[in-house]
Amino acid sequence: MSCRKLKKWISDRYDLEPLRELAGSKTVPVHKHEIWYYTGGIVLFLFAVQFITGMALAFYYVPYFEQANKSVVEIATKLNMGWFFRSLHHWGAQLAIFVLFVHVFSTLLLKSYRKPRELVWVSGFLLLGISIFFGLSGYFLLWDERAFAAVRVATGGAGNLPVLGGFIKGFLRGGIDVTGETLTRFYAFHVSVLPLFTLTLMGVHLFLVQVHGMSVPLSQKGREGRVPFFPNVFYRDLMVWLVVLGIVVTLAVLLPPEIGNKADPLAPPPEGVKPEWYFLFLFQTLKLFPGEILGLNGETIAVVLISLAILFFFLIPFFDRKSSREEKGRLFTWIGAFYTLYFVVMTIIGFLT
Amino acid sequence: MKLDYSLVTRRTFLNTLFGGWLGTFLAGSLYAFFRFAFPTLGKEPDFVVLNPDDFLNIPANSTKPFAWGGKLGLIYKKQDNTLHALKGVCSHMECNVVYKPEEKKFYCPCHKGWFDENGKNIEGPPPKPLEFFDHRLEGDKLLVYRKGVQVELPTA
Repeated sequence: MSCRKLKKWISDRYDLEPLRELAGSKTVPVHKHEIWYYTGGIVLFLFAVQFITGMALAFYYVPYFEQANKSVVEIATKLNMGWFFRSLHHWGAQLAIFVLFVHVFSTLLLKSYRKPRELVWVSGFLLLGISIFFGLSGYFLLWDERAFAAVRVATGGAGNLPVLGGFIKGFLRGGIDVTGETLTRFYAFHVSVLPLFTLTLMGVHLFLVQVHGMSVPLSQKGREGRVPFFPNVFYRDLMVWLVVLGIVVTLAVLLPPEIGNKADPLAPPPEGVKPEWYFLFLFQTLKLFPGEILGLNGETIAVVLISLAILFFFLIPFFDRKSSREEKGRLFTWIGAFYTLYFVVMTIIGFLT
Repeated sequence: MKLDYSLVTRRTFLNTLFGGWLGTFLAGSLYAFFRFAFPTLGKEPDFVVLNPDDFLNIPANSTKPFAWGGKLGLIYKKQDNTLHALKGVCSHMECNVVYKPEEKKFYCPCHKGWFDENGKNIEGPPPKPLEFFDHRLEGDKLLVYRKGVQVELPTA
């Protein structure tokens, strides 16, 4: 069937005119901070890469603790292009989380969360949490010594939360300790639970962005121009994605991630074990606290304080009254800068020590 | 008897009926789902039974691992040839500890915690000492048990 015939076949059945009009009328503001708009699109693209490579890897991965580690080794050594897909999936994840943090902090500093876009922020925050859990659960599927120690510490840390801690820890681990049960559970999270939540929330997030349009920073109000999304911004998005794909492929080819020895619950963790880089700021924060503060468990206090800081971060759009009235304000600029700096500095310190 | 008017309209009655039905149904489903999704948490053992031949003759100033449920247990022979049993799990974040014979200390590589040979936390983040167990030899069995727990093996 020729293209024209196909078009006619569709238009005879569905009225696509409103959709075409909608796409044609979509415009994007132009101003000096517009570059940050691209971070969201990059994350979307990287998630697509993750979904595709992940589906391919799931054909061969064996989610059973006796064979998990071996099956990853076999994917990387025996299968056609296996090393490439595994490496792509690894670097795609690293980059997705990196760009996601850039996306979140740029939203924070430009105050794009302000009224009426609070729910965009809320859905984005949930997606960030899901992505980090994606990272942790995916890392654990390797079932090597490092991943095992990392998950023991991470789930144990969650267990330090008062009241709910025990429940969360038991739910994540599938028992009192990190075992093969935990692997099954994390596999289910990684390939079923989290992808479904991601798709749903991403749908909500993108829908809301279409409803509200792109936010213009307070400092650029009235100075911005507008360009149509199709084709100007869309083509630029595609170009950026091509560059990102180039970066992911280069990293995947030149720096294939290591696979450690099979995890043994009774073996000591490897020396100098560190969590993935996106946990380093938490790891460094925990190190600041002594084991005991005024007779209370230092860990518990640390975990409670961190949780409160994250909760505040989550609720920033509802606390920042000034920007919701479209007024410039210093306080939340400082708070945003503090969160950003804290994250960057602690991650670098954690990386270097 | 027929009432002239009722306190609830037919609509309210039906809404309450269906709403209540839906609410109960959802609550019941969620309850069942979470009961299923949350595992029945096991429990750490109170004691384990080991083969003494594997552990009694380890060299002085060394440790040998055994399974304490799903966790790491260590049989530890001090320099003075006394035998001890302990849980080889750091009191900080549950990483396994390693014995460093040169320093006669236990070390947790996760966050650089140190314990002395009696399990006392002496350096780094660990908030509590290591847990030491009691042990006794009973016939051809080495019993390792939590302090204060009465263990009686069946004699049959």
